[in-house]
Amino acid sequence: MTYSRKWFVPTLYILFLMLPIYGLIAMSFKTTGEILGGFSFFPQNFTLANYKVIFTDPTWYNGYINSIIYVVINTVISVSVALPAAYAFSRYRFLGDKHLFFWLLTNRMAPPAVFALPFFQLYSAIGLFDTHLAVALAHCLFNIPLAVWILEGFMSGIPKELDETAYLDGYSFSRFFVRIFIPTIAAGIGVTMFFCFMYSWVELLLAKTLTSVAAKPIAATMTRTASSSGYELGLLAAAGSLTIIPGAIVIYFVRNYIAKGFALGRV
Amino acid sequence: MATIRFKNVQHAYPPPKGQDPVYALKEVSQVWEDGSAYALLGPSGCGKTTLLNIISGLLTPSEGKVYFDDQDVTDLPTSDRQIAQVFQFPVVYDTMTVFDNLAFPLRNRGTDEATVKKRVHQIAEMLDLTANLKKKASGLTADGKQKISLGRGLVRSDVNAILFDEPLTVIDPHLKWQLRSKLKELHQQIGVTMIYVTHDQVEALTFANKVVVMYDGAVVQVGTPVELFNKPKHTFVGYFIGSPGMNFLPCKIDRGQPVFHNNILATSHPVSDDLNGRTVVGVRPEFVEFADDGIPVVIEKIEDLGRYQVVTVKHESEVIKMVVNEDQRIPAESPKIHFNPDQIRIYCDDWLVEGGDNE
Repeated sequence: MTYSRKWFVPTLYILFLMLPIYGLIAMSFKTTGEILGGFSFFPQNFTLANYKVIFTDPTWYNGYINSIIYVVINTVISVSVALPAAYAFSRYRFLGDKHLFFWLLTNRMAPPAVFALPFFQLYSAIGLFDTHLAVALAHCLFNIPLAVWILEGFMSGIPKELDETAYLDGYSFSRFFVRIFIPTIAAGIGVTMFFCFMYSWVELLLAKTLTSVAAKPIAATMTRTASSSGYELGLLAAAGSLTIIPGAIVIYFVRNYIAKGFALGRV
Repeated sequence: MATIRFKNVQHAYPPPKGQDPVYALKEVSQVWEDGSAYALLGPSGCGKTTLLNIISGLLTPSEGKVYFDDQDVTDLPTSDRQIAQVFQFPVVYDTMTVFDNLAFPLRNRGTDEATVKKRVHQIAEMLDLTANLKKKASGLTADGKQKISLGRGLVRSDVNAILFDEPLTVIDPHLKWQLRSKLKELHQQIGVTMIYVTHDQVEALTFANKVVVMYDGAVVQVGTPVELFNKPKHTFVGYFIGSPGMNFLPCKIDRGQPVFHNNILATSHPVSDDLNGRTVVGVRPEFVEFADDGIPVVIEKIEDLGRYQVVTVKHESEVIKMVVNEDQRIPAESPKIHFNPDQIRIYCDDWLVEGGDNE
C-alpha cells in the first residue's frame, strides 16, 4: 500500500467509533419531535433548549453535582487508602502477601449487583442511605483493589534504594513518603485517580440503589425516559453528551502515562 | 567521624516457610578504623552488602552489637547515624534538579545556604557535573545519574563513614579509572572512613589500604594487598586474589615437610606433623619455575598474555598453573618444576598453618 492510502483504514475505524457519539451530540441539539419524526444527519431546527433545561432545572443539574461529589470522595478515599497498602505490597514480604494481593483482584470479579442488597440494608440501618458518602464507600469495593494494583506496579518500578538513600540523607519514613516518594510516583497516582474516577463515574447499579433524592446521580436521572410532558429524548441526549465531558477532561491530563498503566498489566 | 566496631554480628534473613534460617553473615567481629579506606572483596552473595547495610542501619543484625566509638548504635535508625551510602544502581530524586539532589543531604542537616552552594560546586566540579547543575536529574544518562549518587554520598564532610556498594558497575570503563582515583584522592583530602564493596580484585587492591576478604558470610582475611598476595590465610583468598589464583595440591605432612605424590616439597617453614584434617599445599603460579631437578610434569597449555605467559602443567591428575616470563625458555623435553621454598604455604581444612620458622 502506498503512503497516501495508509490513512484509509484508521480513518474508517475512527469514523465508526465516532458515529454513535456524533449521533448523540446531534440529537442533543434537536427537539424531541424531530428525533421521533425520523432520521436526519444534521439537526433541522438547531436548538439549545435541551441544554438550557439541564442547566436550569435542579433535578437535572443536581444529578451532575451529586455524581461529581461522590466520585471525588471515592477517588480521594481509594487513593489515600491504596497508597500505604500498595507500598506495603511492593516493599515488604509478610505472611500471605501474595494470596492477599490476588484476593484483592478477585474483588473485581464479582458483579456489583451481588453487593447491592447487603449494602442497601447496611446503609439503611446506619443512616447512610441516600448520602454521597454511601455511594463513595460502596464504590471503594472495586476501586481500592484496582488502585492498589495499579499503584503497586508503579511503586515496584522504583528501586528500594531510593527509600534507603532518603533515610541515609536524614529523612524519616513519613517525610520521605510525602516529600520524595509521592512526587516520584505522581504519574502513577494520576493514572490511578483516572481509573477510580472512571469506574465510579460509570457505575450505575450501586449508585442508583443507594440513593433516592438527595444524592441521586446523573446516570439514575437519565434512566427516566418519560416525564409528565411525554418523551424527552432531546434532553436525554444533551445529558448524555455532558456525561462524556468529565471523563474526557480527566483522560487529557493523564494521556501520557496511561499507556504505562496498561503496559504494567494492571488495568 | 568514628571508629566502627562490630561485636559478634550475625545476620539471617527470614527463611522461606518451614526452613532453617540461612545466615548471610556468620559471626563477624571487626574494627573499622577511623579514616581508613577499606575494600570489601568477595564473590556475589557472600554477605558484603548485608554487612554494609548493617553499618548504615538499613538492616538490624539478628545478633550482635554495632558500636560507633563507644556508642551502641545497633538500634539507632539510619537517619541518625550520619552515614553516606552509594548503591550499585543510580538513585536520584527525579523531581529535583541536579543541584538540589546534591544539596539534599546538606540541607536536611540544616547547613546554611552559602556552605551548601560552595560544597555542591566543589563536588560537581570534581565529578564533571557543573554543566548539568540546573538540569532536572531525571533527564541524565545512567552514568550521569550515578555520578549524582556518588556526589550525594561525598557532599557531606561530617559523616562517620562513606559506604560504596559496587558504585562503578554502571560506569564506562575509562571513566571508572578516573572516578576511582578521584575517590582515592578525596579520601586523602578529607580522611573520612570509606568502605568500598566490590567483587573486582583490581578495584579493591587499587582503592584500599586494607582489603577485607569475605567468603560465605564470614571475614576470612583482613590485610594489605601485599599480605593477601603473599600469605593468604584461607584457600579462598589464595584462589580469589591473583590471576591466575593460587595452586592448591593435596599433600601429606612428613617431618614438617609437605609431600605431594611422593615428591617432598622443601619448605622453609616446617609445620607440626599432627595436623588433623585435609591438608593441601598452596603456591602462587608466580613462584613455580622450571628446573633441572624437581617434579616431572606434562605441559598442557601455554597462554601468552604479552607481558608473561601462563603455563598449565599436569603432574598425575593435578593441574598446576605457572607464570613464566616472556624471555624464559620452556623446556621441550621432560620438563620438571620447582616451587620456591619461601613461598610454599600449608593449609589444613582450608586455613593457613603457620610454619615454625616464619619470616
